[in-house]
Amino acid sequence: MSSTRKKLTFGLTSILAASLVLGACGNNKAADNSAASGNGDKGETVELSWYTIGTPQKDVDKVMEEVSKYTKEKIGATVKMTMIDWGDYNQKMQVLTASGASMDIMFTASWAFDYVQNARKGAFAPIDELLDQYGKGIKETLDPAFLEGSKVDGKNYGVPANKELPAQEVWRFNKNILEENNLSFEGVRTLESLEPLLKTVKENNPDVIPFQVDKNFMPYVPYDYLIEKFPLAVKLDDTEYKVVNVFETPEMKQALATMNKYYKAGYVPTEAATLESSSDVQATGLWFADKATTQPFADNVWSTSYGYPIISTPQSDALVYNLSVMGSMQAISANSKHKEKAMEFLNLLNTDPVLRNMVDSGIEGTHYKKVDDTHMENLPESKNYDMPTFSLGNVMLTYLNPGDPDNKWEEFKSYNDAGQPAILLGFNFDPSKVSTEIAAVQNAKEAFWAPLMTGTVDPEAYVPKAIEKLQAAGLDKIMAEAQSQLDAWKAANNK
Amino acid sequence: MKALGRHLKDINRNKAMLLMVLPASLWFICFSYLPMLGTIISFKEYRFSGSFLSSIINSKWVGFDNFKFLFRTDDAYIITRNTILYNAVFIFIGLVLAVAMAIVLSEIANKRLAKWYQTGMFMPYFLSWVIVGYFVYSFLSYDRGMINKIAIALGADPTQWYSEPKYWPLIIVLVFLWKSLGYNSVIYLAAIMGIDKSLYEAAMIDGANKWQQIRNITLPMLTPLMTILTLLAIGRIFYADFGLFYQVTRDSGTLYSVTNVIDTYVYRGLKTTGEIGMSTAAGLYQSFVGFVLVITSNYIVRRFNKDNALF
Repeated sequence: MSSTRKKLTFGLTSILAASLVLGACGNNKAADNSAASGNGDKGETVELSWYTIGTPQKDVDKVMEEVSKYTKEKIGATVKMTMIDWGDYNQKMQVLTASGASMDIMFTASWAFDYVQNARKGAFAPIDELLDQYGKGIKETLDPAFLEGSKVDGKNYGVPANKELPAQEVWRFNKNILEENNLSFEGVRTLESLEPLLKTVKENNPDVIPFQVDKNFMPYVPYDYLIEKFPLAVKLDDTEYKVVNVFETPEMKQALATMNKYYKAGYVPTEAATLESSSDVQATGLWFADKATTQPFADNVWSTSYGYPIISTPQSDALVYNLSVMGSMQAISANSKHKEKAMEFLNLLNTDPVLRNMVDSGIEGTHYKKVDDTHMENLPESKNYDMPTFSLGNVMLTYLNPGDPDNKWEEFKSYNDAGQPAILLGFNFDPSKVSTEIAAVQNAKEAFWAPLMTGTVDPEAYVPKAIEKLQAAGLDKIMAEAQSQLDAWKAANNK
Repeated sequence: MKALGRHLKDINRNKAMLLMVLPASLWFICFSYLPMLGTIISFKEYRFSGSFLSSIINSKWVGFDNFKFLFRTDDAYIITRNTILYNAVFIFIGLVLAVAMAIVLSEIANKRLAKWYQTGMFMPYFLSWVIVGYFVYSFLSYDRGMINKIAIALGADPTQWYSEPKYWPLIIVLVFLWKSLGYNSVIYLAAIMGIDKSLYEAAMIDGANKWQQIRNITLPMLTPLMTILTLLAIGRIFYADFGLFYQVTRDSGTLYSVTNVIDTYVYRGLKTTGEIGMSTAAGLYQSFVGFVLVITSNYIVRRFNKDNALF
């Protein structure tokens, strides 16, 4: 080949290659545009990808087929649900989000795929406008505290499930042991008031643990924490909204001293500070008292799940904390291509009992049967579709179990209405400016948090050491940052 | 053109070997080389925005801010000290005991029994640290642990094992050795098996006893392998086995002064904020120090004996 021909061939080939590449790019853009515009017209059936938490059930696809038939008719969308197991949920969702996988709706909570953290990272789409346009039903059924409390930096990123709203701490007692010793919890409310009961049980029942406590235990003090299990908090009735180190407060000091007294007296298990969870002890029933968060009819729920009667008495007021509104939420992914349809679906899910019960209990006649208008009973097939009710949406639309009183949901509503908002409801601390200090403080606090909270070590000696270590790690800087954010929020919300 | 032809011929001749290496190479390319590009995240504040690539591109630069949390407090000194000291002890004692074990195993007359011992020692390597943690708990639990029960039977006071830092360096080293000795000694055993028997026969004829044979034949023949493995271990001196220091210690706060290592520090520090940039920075810091140490030690070994160096 002559030199000119070679050059010509080379030139033409590169032009061809370049045009192919540019053409492909152009085509992609066109395809994207048509897909986007395709959403606009109602004719297109959209497939929504829904990621939710729970042990994957055998009949999920079968039930989703039925659900899709229903939703296709109502809103022109079909639903594909993917369940991710409890233990894996955080990791798998992180990978899915980081890799930009196509998801539309995903479950999130303060304890699963941290709602606030990931909202700030940009994983979820802000839904304020979507709620106004397509989610009117949600706004009507939900107590406004839910939406107020789940705002992150002024915007909503998830639809909370309508369920019990206020959180209230109670003392739970193993009813059998209570009655065996002729004890009553009359007048028991504070940590100190437990003592005579614990003493009696310790003497009469040597095999029973008087006060079951594990490393997650924190004695109740009237403070609202800024970050869970982090020493910064604001007193519940503080009109000044001052952020304090909880270890410097008289209430915490007294609570820790009492816990230490109980530990020394042998009421608390010796290895509470390293015990991951109390479920093993709860399975045996060899415990007398512990602390838990309640909901209406909780005693029934606990007694049924443990297999022996539990009875409880309150130790705090029922208040609505940030945590209580972020216990179960459905968020729309930031890179979802069908945000409007997703919101329409969520709206339908939270207002339509037919859809809600289909998603919750399966196919009527196969997995459950209706006993009357409001009650239902599980059929043997239900073991193939056992879903965590609280995670899927408005629980007050679900059919009642045979043992439930007819007015169960009315009771829930009045419980919710009676709840007072806690002082920090709606304020979510943004840690991005102080993440270095937080990492250091976390390590410093982990060293003595569980030993102090469970009473394993003497607070007289340890609390001063703890405060010193926290200061050295930068707690003051975090406190100052938190105070300035809180003051700004207070001013913006006229509190 | 000619060079290309020669390379292709080379590949063709060695295709069986290359095919054997291919899976491992792919694994390394995907999990060790490709992710190196991701170290860029340690200089950014990672936020989601669409696909993984666009998230990285769109996150803003923060320079060395992500590294600060590793050096901020006294804890920095403690975790570095713990990590290095534990690893130094593991490398040294692990080496001595693994070689000793291998030599002993090779000398056992009854080969079938030797196989049983070897398998038995090898088993713990495959257990997960979570399970090992519970094993240790069954010994060290305050009220139900075996050791305290024996102590009470002998009339002594039971100890709160998970609250006393002073015993833990010993406990951790013992547990580590129990788990890894079998695996390491098998490597040396394989090398010993490869030593020419005639060397030993010649030594016996010359009147050498067992100990002299070991000192003059076995150990010198094992030296290249020992050097390579030690150099590789030095490269990982800033990495601690997370399972060992988190599960076996049951994350007990009172023990942190002796059990907190870089990996557990990073985990505890970033659990709540989940800053991906910071955890990547910690990983980069560990591998960078390891890199410097490997190059340095390799250089030192090279000065002594060119053949034994890694590269």
